[in-house]
Amino acid sequence: MAARAEAAVPAWQRGKVASWLVTTDHKRIGILYISTSVVFLVLAGLMALVMRLQLAQANADVIGPERYNELVTIHGTSMVFLVGVPILAGFGNYLVPLMIGASDVAFPRLNALSYWFFLFGGVVLMLSFFADGGAGQAGWTLYPPLSEQQPGNGIDLQILSLHILTASTVAGAINFLVTIHNLRTRGMSWTRMPLLVWSIELYSWLIIAVYPVLSAALTMLLLDRGVSIGPWDVQTDFFNPDSGGSAVLYQHAFWFFGHPEVYIIVLPAFGIISEVLPVFARKPIFGYKAIVASTVAIAFFSMLVWAHHMFTVGLPISLQAWFMIASMVIAVPTGMKIFNWLATLWRGNLSFDTPMLYALGFLSLFVIGGLTGIYLAAFPIDWQVHDSYFVVAHFHYTLLGGVVFAIFAGLFYWWPKMFGRLLDEKLGKWQFWLLFVGFNVAFMPQHFVGLEGMPRRVYTYANESWEGYNLASTIGSYVMGIAILLFAINVLKTRRSGQRVGNDPWQADTLEWYTTSPPPPHNFDEVPYVTSARPLYDLRRRLRVERGEREPV
Amino acid sequence: MALVSLLAQFAPVAPDSPNAEGIRDSWLFVSIFVFAIFVLVEALLIAFVWKYRRQKRGRFEDAAQIHGATNLELAWTAGPVVVLFLIAAFVFIELPGIKDVPDAAAGEEQLEIKVTGRQFYWQYEYPNGVIAIDQLRAPVGVPVRLEVSAPSSDVIHSWWIPALGGKIDAIPGVTNETWFQAESEGTYTGQCAELCGLEHAQMLASVEVMSADEFEGWLESGNEDLGKEEWKGVCTKCHGLNGEGGIARALVGSPVLSDPQALETIVRNGRVTRRGTMPAVGSDWTEEQVDALLDYLTESPPSGS
Repeated sequence: MAARAEAAVPAWQRGKVASWLVTTDHKRIGILYISTSVVFLVLAGLMALVMRLQLAQANADVIGPERYNELVTIHGTSMVFLVGVPILAGFGNYLVPLMIGASDVAFPRLNALSYWFFLFGGVVLMLSFFADGGAGQAGWTLYPPLSEQQPGNGIDLQILSLHILTASTVAGAINFLVTIHNLRTRGMSWTRMPLLVWSIELYSWLIIAVYPVLSAALTMLLLDRGVSIGPWDVQTDFFNPDSGGSAVLYQHAFWFFGHPEVYIIVLPAFGIISEVLPVFARKPIFGYKAIVASTVAIAFFSMLVWAHHMFTVGLPISLQAWFMIASMVIAVPTGMKIFNWLATLWRGNLSFDTPMLYALGFLSLFVIGGLTGIYLAAFPIDWQVHDSYFVVAHFHYTLLGGVVFAIFAGLFYWWPKMFGRLLDEKLGKWQFWLLFVGFNVAFMPQHFVGLEGMPRRVYTYANESWEGYNLASTIGSYVMGIAILLFAINVLKTRRSGQRVGNDPWQADTLEWYTTSPPPPHNFDEVPYVTSARPLYDLRRRLRVERGEREPV
Repeated sequence: MALVSLLAQFAPVAPDSPNAEGIRDSWLFVSIFVFAIFVLVEALLIAFVWKYRRQKRGRFEDAAQIHGATNLELAWTAGPVVVLFLIAAFVFIELPGIKDVPDAAAGEEQLEIKVTGRQFYWQYEYPNGVIAIDQLRAPVGVPVRLEVSAPSSDVIHSWWIPALGGKIDAIPGVTNETWFQAESEGTYTGQCAELCGLEHAQMLASVEVMSADEFEGWLESGNEDLGKEEWKGVCTKCHGLNGEGGIARALVGSPVLSDPQALETIVRNGRVTRRGTMPAVGSDWTEEQVDALLDYLTESPPSGS
């Protein structure tokens, strides 16, 4: 039947480019998502490199404040909305149907729409640089009144872009949920579902819960800025203190979205780590149910901690105390995961291929980002370090040291599944070490300079004792740039002459490795009955028994 | 050795006020656990990586098939709960010393100053009406209560002098409160910590702590430097230190500088031009403030270099 469906494709859609434009295949859409996100990663990374050049020395004059504020805004917005969320949506797209033994997502055409909206939203954001008045200069957080006072259309386009991306992301989340709830193969109960699929499940719930709140806040912001609808000029004052509005109200709405957003990005990264570690340790994940429970707990509590981003706005102490305790509560399931991953290594048979290096790098760096979070949760301490470079270091340890390392673990791990070829291991390991060293050189000093009083989002500084730290940061960031360049070279090299490694080069445990690499459009000819969270492990074991080989101890 | 001195720097700057000390003490307490957990996790990671590396085993040989251990997992759930409980308890114990202004009970006077954050300067108003810009002056050893705000037409700023305590946002339409009690004379620096526009990075603040007598003298005689402070703090950040121009146009030779009417209009209302927006930097200035600037500019017009 699948063959007949393919034959029905009209000729004009079969071309090399056209077939990608019209595709509704979740695998192709996944690849589109990932590659588009990587392009945005490079663009937003280049923005960071320009900013680092400006900050390398005190009183530098590489770019002026206007350019700097645009870059700081679009770098942040891109990394969160055009890299973090969609690249993980890409992994989810490619892997969820394969991991649950389905032939596609529940709504393939909606899925394609999600992707094209994502691309469109991203293009709108990038083009906002050319808007009247330049791109937004109010940071990715878009705090009013600053964001309401910037003339021109940069902010309006930033809001438009986020609205488009929200439509894309929410549609994608609904698609994931319907897929996971309805299309799991025979035998795949909730407790036999791969942990990455679990994390996409919670990622989707969180998106549906909090993105609409962002939309509401942004719409109010847009109306405050004033819009013309036909003959009517609408101009509200929700967040405008000059007419009785509340600037702090926006912050509540934004962070009610913004904190879960961090977990929307981090949870699937956790999922990737939970898939990679066991395969390279030749062990089951330690404490499957505990990890699932901690994922659910993190998702739930992430919606109750938002005001820890607002400890300096002057909230009543009782509220600050509540948000401190809630933020600390969320550290418990996160700590659980870390220990469960460590225990997965314990008594393992560890191989250090590139995916594993990245997973281990993730572990070592994410811990640091998690621990510095404890300082930030304790609100009197936060009064001191809030909005300083300490915070910049903290969230880069979780999002770059954490999520980006997990993303590379995932790319190196599933590349042979997606393209049938192994990414070059030697280049991969060079890239890992450059990224690991460059990352620490770039971001470790930022803790110190923040503690010394350097606020974030400043285009320059006069204090020369901050120069050493900043120069180190700049050097580290360029080392990371080289590492990303190596990845690009690796991709090109692998395309041309990468080693073909068969269907299951890692002898992995989950269903996506049961089919060919790359999989056929319909994914599976047949799917084995799932007997545990590691169906392929069970299958190999049964084969060995049938062949009369010795049972492994 | 170098590592030890580096570790010692992993803390907020040396405090010079009880609230900053309370914050630093909390920081150090949290650090005990942070470093312990950091060493534990990284050491286990390195130890496991070394001990359980493949060596001569087969590439895909099964390792110990351990699916979990409920007691262990309960332990590393309960452990962090205890640690976080201790941290929260310590924070609550330190809290009164950080947030509460010491009472004036000891016969000691309290000083109250209004701090207003504006694009892109800090304005201070003393109880007797004296006004200063960017540089706050305060007597040593006296608790100083700051009422921090921003005009309703401005944007959010954040007041932060690291050695004298944590930061507090200056939000249009909201009045927040913080305090310090400097323990020694000297100048403490800080800057605006909330992105507030183009010259956010230039929105520096300093606190000059002087002896009580010296401070009284200054306060009684009024701020003779107001005009100069206004020029430096309010005008030059965009127009250049000598009016030579910066992100905004040059002011050298501008007729506005010597025309009281025109100067007052632009200072109070700002200006929107094709090149950009000048904020209404002095929308609520007193006549004295406007006059001080005018007098200063008449006496020493910007030279341009």
